[in-house]
Amino acid sequence: MHFATLLFKNLLRRKTRSLLTCCGVAIAVGTTVVLLGITDSFERATVHAFEGRGVDLVVIEEGVIDQLSSDLDEKMVQRVARLPEVKDVAPGLLDLAAFPALGSTVTALVQGWEVQGFLLQGLKITSGQGLTEPNQHAAIIGKGLADSLQKQPGDSLEIEGETFEIVGIFESFTPAENSGVVIPLPQMQRIKYRPERVTGFSVVVRQDGGDTAAVDRVRRQISKLVDEQGKSGRMVAQPVRDYVQASGHIRIAHAMAWMTSVIAIVVGAIGMLNTMIMSVVERVREISILRAIGWKKSRVIRMILGESLIISMVGATLGSLGAIVLSQGLARWPAVQGMIDGSIGPPIVAMGFLMSTLLGLVGGVYPALRAARLLPAEGLRHE
Amino acid sequence: MNRPVGREVLLETRGLSRLYPDGQVQALRDVSLSIHLGEYVAIMGPSGSGKSTLLTALGAIDRPTTGEVLFAGQPLSQHPNLDALRATQIGFVFQSFHLLPTLTAVENVQIPMFEMPWSSTQRTSRARDLLEQVGMSHRCDHLPSRLSVGERQRVAIARALANRPQLLLADEPTGNLDSQTAEEILALFANLHQTIGMTLVIVTHSDEVARSAQRCIRLRDGRVVEDSGTVVS
Ligand SMILES: Nc1ncnc2c1ncn2[C@@H]1O[C@H](COP(=O)(O)OP(=O)(O)O)[C@@H](O)[C@H]1O
Ligand SMILES: [Mg+2]
Repeated sequence: MHFATLLFKNLLRRKTRSLLTCCGVAIAVGTTVVLLGITDSFERATVHAFEGRGVDLVVIEEGVIDQLSSDLDEKMVQRVARLPEVKDVAPGLLDLAAFPALGSTVTALVQGWEVQGFLLQGLKITSGQGLTEPNQHAAIIGKGLADSLQKQPGDSLEIEGETFEIVGIFESFTPAENSGVVIPLPQMQRIKYRPERVTGFSVVVRQDGGDTAAVDRVRRQISKLVDEQGKSGRMVAQPVRDYVQASGHIRIAHAMAWMTSVIAIVVGAIGMLNTMIMSVVERVREISILRAIGWKKSRVIRMILGESLIISMVGATLGSLGAIVLSQGLARWPAVQGMIDGSIGPPIVAMGFLMSTLLGLVGGVYPALRAARLLPAEGLRHE
Repeated sequence: MNRPVGREVLLETRGLSRLYPDGQVQALRDVSLSIHLGEYVAIMGPSGSGKSTLLTALGAIDRPTTGEVLFAGQPLSQHPNLDALRATQIGFVFQSFHLLPTLTAVENVQIPMFEMPWSSTQRTSRARDLLEQVGMSHRCDHLPSRLSVGERQRVAIARALANRPQLLLADEPTGNLDSQTAEEILALFANLHQTIGMTLVIVTHSDEVARSAQRCIRLRDGRVVEDSGTVVS
């Protein structure tokens, strides 16, 4: 007989209790994996939107948490573009807007982009046409948004009280953009009353022969740039990943996911603790007999910890499977269309198993130590 | 009686006392005795006279309040690893067997073997051999609940022998058995004593057991009152 066989047989003695505890762990781990999976997937999608276009640096105003609250002078974009190692720049002015849909409203990101800029090249027009004229009252919308608003080329769209004609429907290489709207930058500046202002811009650095240090040089040059009056441009340039990780909504999403996961894991650990304490208490006599016939304390500890780890590993497996199924379902939900892809990477599942191992240890250590403290003579009292 | 003289002393107690704090029961009072290697000793006495207490002290399961138990000359109070001593040198047979209910006979016998550096296959084959030795080879894969009480006691004896102990201690091993089964179990002990020279200390109420033993120690109120017929005042 293997030691593990003994552990399994012990757990099978109380099938319902073991199974319920497994379910508790599964829910805790499932919650963790789903939440971390969603934020990770969201983060990856955002990074992909920049990296897929070859963007090396994102520039926003110094001291703000993301583009939405950033404000820069458009002239500074031209200064950056003139830096010798900068290959291309793409300014944008973006904001959130609400659109009436069937009985509800849909919130979407409205981007003001240059009609000649490289950002638009990432969008494939699937019906109608693209943006060509900076002065046009024209908009193109992502296919996800087109579906939820039930719009086609030729229909009109109200943005900030202005009527725009939808000239085309696009599909982006990055699904997150499919729920957004793009209009020419000057139009966006006009309706937002922010002439010659942008919220930020993307920079592509010339990297001859894979000169990655160039990115860092450009980054430092941008932060030192001054305007015509010699005043600081108040700009920070960040590599794409840093920018995404530092941005406010990603950080809030991370914090909430972790917070909720930790609570779920703690609740799971309490359930495990309860189960294992009960299990030790009902086996007091049996465990002291094991000690009486020569089992070391450490073997008793290994038995009890082993049992709680088996429960937590089975729970983690069930929870991860559940999480994968649930995320696939979530990804199809219209409200998050395109924002998450529903895939959960191995590192996230590994994190779920790690949390579950911790849960198993935390829930098992105290009962195991309690079991190990039982005296060999205990089991023979009143025999 | 044929007390083995000049043979090595396996177990010795010096001035053993055991006071149970709850209820202030003095279960053993100044017990001093020696048991030689290969001896077959019966411990008798009325209920509550301290037999089980003495046996657990001999088996390094319980610690005396005062006095000392020496195993092969070494005081247990200074022994570095009593777990290992219990696991490898001493086999203990309990009155109510204490088998694990979810394990089959052959699995129960393997429980003490986890303390030995043996593989799973070695454990299993050794457990089968032991069950054969106690006449249980046909019941290897039965759960304790499917065995008769006599059969359970045989499994418990096989478990006590698992790690080839020098000493076998049994607390009223036939107390729960009918006389026919009790006799079979006794024959088993006698056989262990004769064939491999196992040192046996058996607590019993039965005169038959006492007769099959070489030596009989009688306790009353925690004191040795008789050792092999010799009245010790
Ligand atoms: N764990 C214990 N706590 C308190 N008193 C005990 C305990 N074990 C035994 N005793 C008492 O010690 C005395 C001797 O008990 P025991 O050694 O079991 O006797 P025997 O085995 O001869 O019947 C009895 O009076 C019993 O009630
Ligand atoms: Mg007794």
